[in-house]
Amino acid sequence: MSWYNTLGEHGDIVLSTRVRLARNLEDFPFPVRLDRDGKKQVAECVKEALSDYTETELNFIDMEELSRNDAVSLAEKHLISPEFAYDSTGRALLQSDDEEVSIMLCEEDHIRIQVILPGLSQKEAFEKAEKIDKAIEEKLNYAFSEKLGYLTQCPTNLGTGMRASVMLHLPALVRKGAMRRLSATVAKLGLTLRGCYSEGVEAAGDVFLLSNQVTLGISEEAALQNLGSIAKQIIAEEKQARAVVISDSEFIDKIYRAKGILQSAYKLTSKELVGLTSLVLMGAEEKIIDVPMDKLSSMNILLMPATLRKAEGADLSRDERDIVRAKRIREVLG
Amino acid sequence: MLCQNCKKNEATTHIKHVINGEATENHFCHSCAESLGVGGFFDDFSLNLPGIFSSFFGDSVFSLGERQLDRCEKCGSCFDDIIKTGKVGCADCYEKFYSKLLPSIQRIHGKAKHQGKIPEIHGVKVAAKEKTTEEKIADLQKEMQKAIEEQNFERAAVIRDEIKKLKEAE
Repeated sequence: MSWYNTLGEHGDIVLSTRVRLARNLEDFPFPVRLDRDGKKQVAECVKEALSDYTETELNFIDMEELSRNDAVSLAEKHLISPEFAYDSTGRALLQSDDEEVSIMLCEEDHIRIQVILPGLSQKEAFEKAEKIDKAIEEKLNYAFSEKLGYLTQCPTNLGTGMRASVMLHLPALVRKGAMRRLSATVAKLGLTLRGCYSEGVEAAGDVFLLSNQVTLGISEEAALQNLGSIAKQIIAEEKQARAVVISDSEFIDKIYRAKGILQSAYKLTSKELVGLTSLVLMGAEEKIIDVPMDKLSSMNILLMPATLRKAEGADLSRDERDIVRAKRIREVLG
Repeated sequence: MLCQNCKKNEATTHIKHVINGEATENHFCHSCAESLGVGGFFDDFSLNLPGIFSSFFGDSVFSLGERQLDRCEKCGSCFDDIIKTGKVGCADCYEKFYSKLLPSIQRIHGKAKHQGKIPEIHGVKVAAKEKTTEEKIADLQKEMQKAIEEQNFERAAVIRDEIKKLKEAE
C-alpha cells in the first residue's frame, strides 16, 4: 500500500521510512562515463536479472517514454529523485504496483534500490530492499572492494551504499524553535536532519527528513539501529513539545482557523495546503479537532501540482489547479 | 628552465598558486600549457583547481601531470575529472586513484574500512585471498593423498610439483 495512503507505526509523527541501496555493476563504467546506449544496456541487464523475481511484481518503465508530468508526479510521491525526473536520457525505472519498491536505473549509480513504507519501519524496509539486492547479486557482479565496500559514483555513498531516512512531521518542535539545535545534535551522531520540502531548516509543512550520513565503516544494522533510536528520541521530544503548545489558547485558535480556511477556501496553492494541513493534522492527532486524518494526510501528496494534473487532466492551468485543489479538500473535510 | 611536463622545451608559462598557505609552482612550455588547457592569457587557472568539491578533495592537490595525464585504463577518467565533477568514473578508478581519494574518503566518513554486507561472490573471493601459503599447501596435500588413494598417480605427481613450487616460492 502506498506510504501516503496509510498511517503506520508512530504514524502521528512519522510519515514514512525509506531505505535506498546504491549499487553498480563491475563490468560497466559508472553512469557519468556512460552514453545513452551504455545506460540502456545497464538497464536491460538489471531488468533481465530481475525478470524471474517473484517476491514483488515489478513493472519496467522506460523514462524516455514517460511524460515529464508523470515523472515529476513520481518525484512528488518520493518514489524517484527530482533529478531522475528531469533527465530521462537512457534511464529506466522498475516499480511495484503498490509503490513500495522503486528501482532507479542509471540515476547517480547504475542501480538504486528504494523501498518506502509508512510509519517507522526501517527494518522491514531494509529487509525488502535486501531481497532484491540478493536477487540481482545472484545474476550480476557488483562493483565491490574489501576496503571500500560497495563502490559508488560519489564517494559519499561508499561502504554499505545505504541511505535510510525517516520523514517526520514536527510542528510543535518547529514552533518551539528547536530545529536548529536538533540538526546540530544529530550531525554529531552521523545523521542529517533537513527540511523535506525546502532547503535548510525552514521546512514547508513542518516535514523533515532524518537520514544516516556516514556509510563507510558502519554496518547496515548499526546504521539502522542508530536511525531508529534517534528517530524515537525526536518523536518523544515532539510529543513533549505538543503537550506544551496545545495548552496555549492562541495556538488552538490557529488550528481552528486553519481548519476553517481548508473547509471554505475557493482556491488553495500547494504550499498553502501543506502549511494548513500541518496545523490541522496536529490538532486532530492531539484530539483538539476531528478530521479524517489519513485522508487529509494523503491529500498533501495527491494534490501536489504534477500529481493533481495527472489525475485531473494535463491541460489544467495553475489557476484551475488551485480551484480543483480547494474543492477536493472541501470534499474531504465535509 | 625546462617544461616540467615534456621536459624538452623551455618553460614559458609559469603558474603559482597558494592553497592553505602552501605555494606550488608549475612551469610549462607553450604547447604543453595549451594542451593542458592553462595557456591562454585569459584562462583562469583557478577554475581548474578543485572547485565545488574542494572540501572533499582539499588534500588532493597534485601536480598537473598527476591530475590530468594519468588516466584510468578502463574508463579514461583522470583525477581532474573526478575533482571537477565529484564523481568517480568506474570501479577501477577507486584502485587507480586510491591514495589520492583516501584523504577525502576519510574526511567524509571518518573511517575508510568497510563494515557490513559483502556480496556472495565476493565473500568467496575474500576467503580465497586470505588463505596463507601454508593453508594452500595443506589443502594440496589432502588432495594429493586423495589422488594416491584413488591410484591416480599422474594427478598426484602434478599436485606434488605444485606443492614444491609453493614451498620454493616461500
